[in-house]
Amino acid sequence: MTLWTVPDHFRDELPPAAERLETLRRQWLDRLRGHGYQLVAPPLIEYLDALTVGSGRDLAERTFQVVDPLTGKPVAVRPDMTPQIARIDAHLLNRSGVTRLCYAGPVAHARPANLFAVREPWQLGAELYGHSGVEADCEVARLLLCLLAEAGLEAVRLECAHMAIFRVLTRGWCEADAETLFTLLRAKDRADLQRFLAGRELPAEVRAALLWLPHAYGGEEVLAEARRRLPDWPEIAAALTQLTALAKALAAEGAAVGFDLADLRGYHYHTGVMFAAFAPGSAAAVALGGRYDGMGAAFGRARPATGFSIDLRAVVTLLPLSPLPGAILAPALGADAPAKQRTALVERVAALRAAGEVVVDELPGHPRESWFEAGCTRQLVWERGAWHVVPFAE
Amino acid sequence: METITLALSKGRIFEETVPLLAAAGITPACDPEASRQLIIPTNLPHVRLLIVRATDVPTYVQYGGADLGIAGKDVLLEHGGEGLYQLLDLGIAQCRLCVAVPRTFDYAQAVRLGSRIRVATKYLKSARAHFAAKGVHVDLIKLYGSMELAPLVGLADAIVDLVSTGATLRANGLVEVETIAAISSRLVVNQAALKVKRALLQPLIDVFEEKSRDRIAQ
Repeated sequence: MTLWTVPDHFRDELPPAAERLETLRRQWLDRLRGHGYQLVAPPLIEYLDALTVGSGRDLAERTFQVVDPLTGKPVAVRPDMTPQIARIDAHLLNRSGVTRLCYAGPVAHARPANLFAVREPWQLGAELYGHSGVEADCEVARLLLCLLAEAGLEAVRLECAHMAIFRVLTRGWCEADAETLFTLLRAKDRADLQRFLAGRELPAEVRAALLWLPHAYGGEEVLAEARRRLPDWPEIAAALTQLTALAKALAAEGAAVGFDLADLRGYHYHTGVMFAAFAPGSAAAVALGGRYDGMGAAFGRARPATGFSIDLRAVVTLLPLSPLPGAILAPALGADAPAKQRTALVERVAALRAAGEVVVDELPGHPRESWFEAGCTRQLVWERGAWHVVPFAE
Repeated sequence: METITLALSKGRIFEETVPLLAAAGITPACDPEASRQLIIPTNLPHVRLLIVRATDVPTYVQYGGADLGIAGKDVLLEHGGEGLYQLLDLGIAQCRLCVAVPRTFDYAQAVRLGSRIRVATKYLKSARAHFAAKGVHVDLIKLYGSMELAPLVGLADAIVDLVSTGATLRANGLVEVETIAAISSRLVVNQAALKVKRALLQPLIDVFEEKSRDRIAQ
């Protein structure tokens, strides 16, 4: 091991990537504040049980766990901030009405989500508690699209699904069978799904519905077909009505919306509308969101809950690399420089910085090339009794 | 222009895919056996084929190196299928993943006695899951080929391998004692590609589905 390497799937953010990340984080949090989402900052480390609420074994296996040297209790680095925000809403704020919260920070995964993934994503998200109607889902989905567009991500597509359809079709199933079905539907593995269902006693309408679900992806026509193909049950009708409302709200914004009724995730977590944002150039979703009404119960108060989260690092890698404006070098003045020149320099530098420019103070004795490395493309030059910004001569 | 990239392996899978492609109006520009090219163009300017090792197909498709791929269920079981849609059973390259032992080895007795069995295989994940479900303790020995040899030279008690006709097993004095899974080739699709390029991919998927349905029905 060499001391300058970092563990697998961890990464340093260097200039200018680190700056891009921070700029985007600020821009997005400002935007969320403008929509009434209040910033919260939960701790990096929490009790293991609190972090893995509603996520089952899967997330527990993806969690960095340690024993707290202070108390001997198992604690973990958060793998996802959403349960922390649900905990804050359920048990700390205790508000009875609508609560809108936002957050940003690193999370840690014991295993990378895939070959390219970092084990320390930077999660940014918004959660809306206290409203069970689809208006809340529409609000967060619209907000997500607004943030992605603002970042400069083009041709984003939102794919929507609904967990209630799966839940009601598998009502009364044992956990193991329901999880197998969940995996088969997620993979759209039509052949194995057929084999799995062949060995089961099922009402004909449920069997037909489950066999159709892997085909249920596309545009809004999927919802119309779902009304014909899925059982005419109140829960399913309600789910389809919600998806239609979501489609209408997003279409009004000019967003590209798709539906994939077998696109399930968060088996122990989601309860209603779910959505995933896809952007050209990314092999996986860049942001995930949806309803998770049950989670608050583990923290003492069940609350309607919906929201989304984005991996900042994943988004930044998709953005076009527009060059950052270069910095300006302010020369180091010798002891013999006239006072007028010196005062004028101090004033000019302050004015430039106030206007948003980056001004780097020269320190004596370094070759000019070293200031190029530091990002300087221009310099301040004393001419005709004033300081002028001029490009570095070739 | 949006393009379609299909990843598949040389040999049997390629040969059996050519008729499916033909049904979709796609003709490869050359035969991968005769060419060293790894990206094979087709008569359609926006469709190309990627020639990769069978075990690499899921990886190429998962990370978007290809939009679609054709991979055996054996390879998908080992890969885990994460990030992939396994849309169709193409009904090609059919075989089964089996446990086989030398004719002289009493497998049922060894399992009953709770022996620790040494198993040679290329399919570590599938083998581990299979024996764990049975409650049999195994030591897995990863080999990359000619699994049948391992029990003959005392390296293993059993093997887990693909069996098609059983001729290789018989020729080496082995018998099949358990079937782990029925194997055939699947059409896998990158999840993001199916959503972002659906208009382009769906017609191809539909033709493959229709053709493979005919084939499986035969």
